[in-house]
Amino acid sequence: MHVGKDSKWMQQLVFIGPAVLIFSLVIIAPFLLGLYYSMTDWNGVSPNVNWVWFDNFKKIFMEDTDFASSFWFTTKITVTIVILTNLLGFFIAYMLVQKLKTRNMLRSIFFMPNVLGGLLLGFIWQFIFVRGFTTLGAYSDFFLFKLAWLGTEATAFWGLVIVSVWQGTGYVMVIYIAGLSNVPEDLKEAAYVDGAKRRQVLRHVILPMIMSSITVCLFWTINHTYKMYDLNYSLTNGGPFRSTESVSMNIFIEAFANNRYGLGTAKAFIFFVAVALITVVQVYLTKRREIRM
Amino acid sequence: MKRMKSALILMVLVLLVIAGCSQNGNSAGNQGASDVSGDKSGENSKESITLKLFNSKTEIVDQLNELKRDYEKENPNVKLQIDTVIGTDYASALKGRFAGNEMPDIFVNTGYTEMETWIDHLEDLSNEPWVQNVVDIAREPITKDGLLYGMPMNLEGYGFIYNKDLFEQAGIHEIPKTITELETVINKLEESGIKAFATSYQGIIPGRFGVNVPFALQGDPVQFIQEINDGTANFADNPIFQDWLSLIDLELNHSVQNPMTTDYNTQVTLFSSGDAAIIFNGNWIQPMLNNLNDNMNLGIMPVPINDDAALNNHIFVGVPNFWVINKNSEVKDQAKQFLNWLVTSETGKRYITEEFKFIPAFDNIETNPEIVGDLAASVQSYVIEGKTYGWHWPRYPIGVVQEFGSVMQKYSSDHLNKDQLLVELKNAWDKFK
Repeated sequence: MHVGKDSKWMQQLVFIGPAVLIFSLVIIAPFLLGLYYSMTDWNGVSPNVNWVWFDNFKKIFMEDTDFASSFWFTTKITVTIVILTNLLGFFIAYMLVQKLKTRNMLRSIFFMPNVLGGLLLGFIWQFIFVRGFTTLGAYSDFFLFKLAWLGTEATAFWGLVIVSVWQGTGYVMVIYIAGLSNVPEDLKEAAYVDGAKRRQVLRHVILPMIMSSITVCLFWTINHTYKMYDLNYSLTNGGPFRSTESVSMNIFIEAFANNRYGLGTAKAFIFFVAVALITVVQVYLTKRREIRM
Repeated sequence: MKRMKSALILMVLVLLVIAGCSQNGNSAGNQGASDVSGDKSGENSKESITLKLFNSKTEIVDQLNELKRDYEKENPNVKLQIDTVIGTDYASALKGRFAGNEMPDIFVNTGYTEMETWIDHLEDLSNEPWVQNVVDIAREPITKDGLLYGMPMNLEGYGFIYNKDLFEQAGIHEIPKTITELETVINKLEESGIKAFATSYQGIIPGRFGVNVPFALQGDPVQFIQEINDGTANFADNPIFQDWLSLIDLELNHSVQNPMTTDYNTQVTLFSSGDAAIIFNGNWIQPMLNNLNDNMNLGIMPVPINDDAALNNHIFVGVPNFWVINKNSEVKDQAKQFLNWLVTSETGKRYITEEFKFIPAFDNIETNPEIVGDLAASVQSYVIEGKTYGWHWPRYPIGVVQEFGSVMQKYSSDHLNKDQLLVELKNAWDKFK
């Protein structure tokens, strides 16, 4: 028995040990280090680091209106993107579990934007908005081509939404397809036999059955768009006049462009707490509605 | 028991891999250090050292790679490793390398505020042989307490770049010296169906180059910046800033395309295709213009903000970058040798003028206007005549340039009126001072 206990310990160590080690090296240690820097006035370069207690946090909450406005912008765009991506992704998934001849091809096509990296995508779409649309606008009178897409606050916002939804839809579509194909046929058939309409089957049979997919998709889209940086950087770079500056970008600029590393890490910490809270609440709420089979 | 054994072996393997990674780094470092000491003692060590150079000038990437080949041929035991990151992202990228313990041996600094930021890492270069030949305007930005910390890469100038052929076509034979004359020029151009400006407000141009104009035209810009910092002066009641606003309006109202959707590349493209006759930019766009349209006749003219011809008769010339050496580099002697080679050897000098097409910041390097191109030649003639104003944004607190840019964007999109613009510029300054 004694040996048995030891070997159990050993097994834990072998199988979880490396993961724990790497996790603490790559995630925990930088996190703690960040926490330390958030209470200093370090500029990111100089050897002098002064301890300032909570001055950075005070500054963020009392003075920094840019941080607040980038938070508000990020919240707005996250809500918009999450709703649109999930509705569209679900709709496409629902269409593509029907028996269509081209469905495999269509699935790949819709997933394709997701394969491209956000950075590359942003540059491609920047070209489309800046050069492509203006050229098309010169030949046609279609009003969408006449807009200064990345030049005004509202259109830059929607530009980001369009590209982001276009990119994310394929991803959630795949998850929804997996969920939809796991709904047992007999349940649906039973509902139809009982005289349920298509819409009622969708509402009362399919939706409750794929609640776990919804949890995952919502979690992924909220988490992903809240931390948006690459697309933001390459498409609008925060412009026009910092109106589309996401929180991640604000943090990056503060820490690396403005040489206020301490302030930047303090912002990052606040951001971490906020995103963690939001996603935990979301997962709690949607989990409650999941059906355990 | 057997399972436990294999598990143990696995564990040891994982540990070995992790330990191996860090070990490798260490031994490589030691290797470098021992090589240097070998060199210093005069022994010709056969083992080569690597000089890491981190460049921010994207325009010369190809030419630098050729230079690397030539330098390695002349110095067989030195390997050059050149990386380039574009100027606007350079500071963050450099900090990333610094944080990751991957500091280059030679890197780039813009002087003034940025020199202060990095001062603890910069090697004093005051005793290098090339120092005596540095032209005067290239010394101050990188000098602290009488010590020189960097080698100027080149001189650059900006102003209104104009297309001589289009001017000819519109019957304009003299460049405008005052803002009234500029208005006449714009009218003449537009009468012959030519748009005057391709104005770019998407990107760095208005915040960095634009706002520098009224700073540079102050009698004593350094004093003025000091007063702005102390709060004893502001932009709203400064006559030069007020005059400058009418120039801004001219540029915005006579642009061929919406300035807010015109980025740097679009601006240069519009200019090269003849869609606009004047752009607000600098001689560094010459290589790009050569690629787009090889047969343009170009000149640079001053940027008149009011009717005082003598005041406006200058263009804006400065040193964009300085090569600096990492004080803690293990191969800093080789780094110094390299910089010295760059400005004293025939090969190095040839690269500076003929390949990079730079306006040298050294009085011992001669340039040929036919090789450096119209724009550089034009800038150099202003330098020789002494008709230059300085670049003052490296003196601003860090972060202000970007903030100026977004304030200018707000103005161009009618979110601010003239008075508010000047107030907002001051607020932007105060945010970072």
